[in-house]
Amino acid sequence: MRGKSRSSRRRFLAAASGLAVSAALPSTALAQLARTKPNAMPEVIGRLVGTAPINKGKVKLGVPPLVENGHLVPVSVNVESPMTATDHVQAIHVFTDKNPLPEVISFYLGPRAGRANIATRARLADTETVVAIAQMSDGSFWSDSVHVIVTTAACLEEL
Amino acid sequence: MKTAIQNPSRRSFIIGSAAVGSGLALGLNIPFRARTAHAAGAAPEVNAWVVIRPDDTVVIRIARTEMGQGTLTGLAQMVAEELECDWTKVTTEYPTPGQSIARKRVWGDFSTGGSRGIRESHEYVRRGGATARTMLIQAAADEWNVPAAECSAANSVITHAASGRKTTFGKVAEAAAKITPPKDVPLKDPKTWKLIGKPVKRLDTLNKLTGKQIYGADFKMPGMLNATIKECPVFGGKVKSFDAAKVTGMKGVKKVVQVGDSAVAVVADTWWQAKTALDALPIVWDEGANAKVSSASIAEMLKEGLDAEQAFVGNDAGNAKAAIAGAAKKIEAVYAYPFLNHAPMEPMNATARYTPDKCEVWCGTQNGEAAFAATLTASGLPADKCEVYKLMLGGAFGRRGAFHDFVRQAVLIAKQMPGIPVKLLWTREEDMTQGRYHPVTQCKLTGAFDASNNLTGLHMRISGQSILTAVRPEALQKGMDPATFQGVARSGEFEFGYGGIPNLLIDHAMRNTHVPPGFWRGVNINQNAIYIECFMDELAHAAGQDPLDFRRKLMAKNPKHLAVLNAVAAKAGWGTPAPKGVFRGLAQMKAFNSFVAACAEISVSGGNKVKVHRIVCATDPGYAVNPAQIERQIAGSFVYGLSAVFNQECTVKNGRIEQDNFDNYNSMHIAQMPKVESIIMPSGGFWGGVGEPTICVAAPAVLNAFFAATGKRIRSFPLKNHGITLV
Repeated sequence: MRGKSRSSRRRFLAAASGLAVSAALPSTALAQLARTKPNAMPEVIGRLVGTAPINKGKVKLGVPPLVENGHLVPVSVNVESPMTATDHVQAIHVFTDKNPLPEVISFYLGPRAGRANIATRARLADTETVVAIAQMSDGSFWSDSVHVIVTTAACLEEL
Repeated sequence: MKTAIQNPSRRSFIIGSAAVGSGLALGLNIPFRARTAHAAGAAPEVNAWVVIRPDDTVVIRIARTEMGQGTLTGLAQMVAEELECDWTKVTTEYPTPGQSIARKRVWGDFSTGGSRGIRESHEYVRRGGATARTMLIQAAADEWNVPAAECSAANSVITHAASGRKTTFGKVAEAAAKITPPKDVPLKDPKTWKLIGKPVKRLDTLNKLTGKQIYGADFKMPGMLNATIKECPVFGGKVKSFDAAKVTGMKGVKKVVQVGDSAVAVVADTWWQAKTALDALPIVWDEGANAKVSSASIAEMLKEGLDAEQAFVGNDAGNAKAAIAGAAKKIEAVYAYPFLNHAPMEPMNATARYTPDKCEVWCGTQNGEAAFAATLTASGLPADKCEVYKLMLGGAFGRRGAFHDFVRQAVLIAKQMPGIPVKLLWTREEDMTQGRYHPVTQCKLTGAFDASNNLTGLHMRISGQSILTAVRPEALQKGMDPATFQGVARSGEFEFGYGGIPNLLIDHAMRNTHVPPGFWRGVNINQNAIYIECFMDELAHAAGQDPLDFRRKLMAKNPKHLAVLNAVAAKAGWGTPAPKGVFRGLAQMKAFNSFVAACAEISVSGGNKVKVHRIVCATDPGYAVNPAQIERQIAGSFVYGLSAVFNQECTVKNGRIEQDNFDNYNSMHIAQMPKVESIIMPSGGFWGGVGEPTICVAAPAVLNAFFAATGKRIRSFPLKNHGITLV
């Protein structure tokens, strides 16, 4: 079981590396700002997708690249899908890699939803990567991710 | 010095940068990768931090904000130290947050607060300077066909000692910009610093003296309109209705607009026309649930917290409650500290121009990136269609750091008048009543003594408002606001200085109000220093001991705290007779990673007129980049700290703040300012802040001196409420 989730995590990271700025750029400045420890996002995603590959595309995650604070960050996910009985989005999952809990929200959809577009607000604990994964009716997974800078407050010390 | 932000040069910089931005698509895995190209005619950018013109002028890019605290000069000193350039040819420039985002955040964090401007960027800005120097030397060596190791740089001149050849930075900058930046260039040993540690003159003084300096409130653009705004005076309230028809015919008025769900603005040709119309505009507010809140009801809520069962424990050792229960003697005191406003001289303002293709904002901000984020959110445009240009701040003190409500408002107004630049400038009254206030707290302190007058236990119960709960709830630790314990924390940059107290409990009964809290210069050390340092004096008095001796016994585990305290005591002559009628008081604290202490000398006439003659202050910030600037920051922090303790409070009536201008929220005056003697004693090995730490020791030192002079303990503030005035 453990080995299985590891291999899927590696695949996830490989899939995400093209998208996730934080993974590709271990910059000094970013590292300094990364005050919150990474959470178990890869494992949680691994549990969701099992051994299936995560494909890039079809999903458009809308999150601002930087936000003044992490209170209520607008998050939208649009997935390309005809939303028919045979070809539709079954679920949209949103994750973050630094929040205390990696799972932000899951939406479950059916063909009657008509469109696979969702919008909500999420709290972000820190400058981190937000990942959206769409689960299709054919069992495939599609993903998009955005690295969001949460600007630091004025007189806030390292906590 | 060209530190003023002048539109033409700003615009040309942006155009220059934009033209080369595409060359940076490759991964920037260190923040100092040079561009390989630059705009025709523009000076070569050696790396993100350093631009060198052919005439050897060095432009150092500064991401943090200058707001009077000297960060601009200090950071430039650090880059120049490693760069080995001619300091007399240094100018500075702000990169824009939009450029930084487009360049994968090459300048790092823009946030300027928490006394972090220097201490959290010293390493990478020095490395930026060192990397640029290495590239310049390499370019000269390549030209001469000699090993770079045989060349050296000093004062903007590169020398090959063996052949006696020399060239200047300006001559090789073009070639240097094309060199792949080396990695991990070593930094100088602090012992060899020549420019860091020198009290060089500030780079931004001349423009301020000549009036050339442009502040946000001064900013003008062709075709610009002026706006002013009124937000529901009860926090959390909303606009119910307003009758625009009543003012639309008034002279100069262009538009009356609702801004969000809680504010109304008038846009006019001139600012005064906008203000006159807004004053005349009938607005009906839905004041919401908080319309009955008063200072008395808040105080009542806080009082309950002083004895509440549940509280967040921020610091503890042994068993304080047991020590107090079994004490031979028990001392108790309750203190209270009010809401305060930042009251910067320049009210909040921002200028915005919106079109569906571009949203631009010009404003003073402590955090360009946060202003940029507010612009993105309010405009609804993507990052590559937004930009923020930072202007000089007429004071900020935390108000322009974590909150960009004024930017959001300016963009929302401009969005309703596309293509027209609109300057939103708040009235003083709006600035005073729509603040992000220093939080309100009360504190109950209980000390326990054994039969031999040894302090065996201390309980410090803070009751009151948490800033982080309102501002950054994601930073709470299982509900606890760690920032509440600034100055009395277990460890770290706000470590409590009395490690010798065997049984200690410092806890917080969180009691939040509807008044929005914010980070006010020094944040929670202001009240915590008064609480703990005045109570230390109370305990010393109860034990019949000298306040300095009493503290020393508890500070054996805190040698750096003790060192600054000893330094002020020695310089002030503690233990020797003061001039006739003059009394002394002490205080110490660790804050923002610096150790600070003060000894105040005051005299009191008529029982209530206080003259503060002198305050001796010591600080150990680890490293002192510009000692002259540190001295001025200490004196400036005392203006702020003493103004608060003598004169300032914001009271709440019917859900709104009562103080609305400097007639009822006054600062101390120049004739009231004591002589400030600073001891700057950097001990090395760590980096501490400068702008904030010393603010907190002025008030308790003066209060302790007041007790020495009068035998009276004042435990609620400001002192004017007790008929005490500063003369």
